[in-house]
Amino acid sequence: MREAIVSIEPAKAVRGNVIDTQVRWALRRPRNLEKLALLVQRVSGVGLLGYLFFHIFVTGSVTGGRDAWDGVMSILSNPSAHIGELLVVVGATFHAINGIRVMLLELSPLVGRAKRPDYPYKVQSLGKGQQSILYAAMIMAGLSTIAGIVILWGL
Amino acid sequence: MRESTLQLVNYVMILALLVTLALHLAMQAFLGVSGYEDALTYDTAVARYREPLSASLLTILLVAASYHGLYGLRNILLEMRSGVGWSRLVTGVTLGLGAVMLGWGIRTIVVAFAGV
Repeated sequence: MREAIVSIEPAKAVRGNVIDTQVRWALRRPRNLEKLALLVQRVSGVGLLGYLFFHIFVTGSVTGGRDAWDGVMSILSNPSAHIGELLVVVGATFHAINGIRVMLLELSPLVGRAKRPDYPYKVQSLGKGQQSILYAAMIMAGLSTIAGIVILWGL
Repeated sequence: MRESTLQLVNYVMILALLVTLALHLAMQAFLGVSGYEDALTYDTAVARYREPLSASLLTILLVAASYHGLYGLRNILLEMRSGVGWSRLVTGVTLGLGAVMLGWGIRTIVVAFAGV
């Protein structure tokens, strides 16, 4: 009887700090655009959550009356805040379209069909269909940068 | 709650977020306002909180964005380490943050809707 091949080595824990485990892995080989997209998706997601937390408390000043609102708005009317707002719009655009790609990969036939792994071992889930949505996300993020600059600075 | 149920709720929140965020951004730029500066005036902000449809939109956006954001943060944190203690800590912290965000956000909407 043929014996099953089993690993006798214990699973190795991923070593390294947060930057190693959450950021550098995306830049290690084998490199691909999808790994970078996941990194950007996570960074933009955490950034947008931070902004949302801040935004809820900033807009809460509306209950303090006109003076409170105008006071907060005068603090936020500066170029640094505008750059932050631009990053929010660009991050939200990329995050949304790339998120739709990920959802379609999870829920639709876009994930590809199971196939015998022959050389050169092309991953079925990394096909051109999903990659075109990723390119669309990057193009839309670029266009939202232009739209954001026009709206925020009135150029 | 089962993780599959949380993920299912997340999908619903994503769909709600896509619609409400697009409308919210449009309302800051051109929808019902002459420009971004106009959208940030006190009168425009208060008018939006007092209009039932706009206040409902803001409420849905608040709930959907808070859930989706905190659920995503929870997933990232749970991937970093394992263990029952860590899992409980992460879930507790995200629930606490959610309570603060929803509590303050809904308070703002209710107070502004009722009349500042």
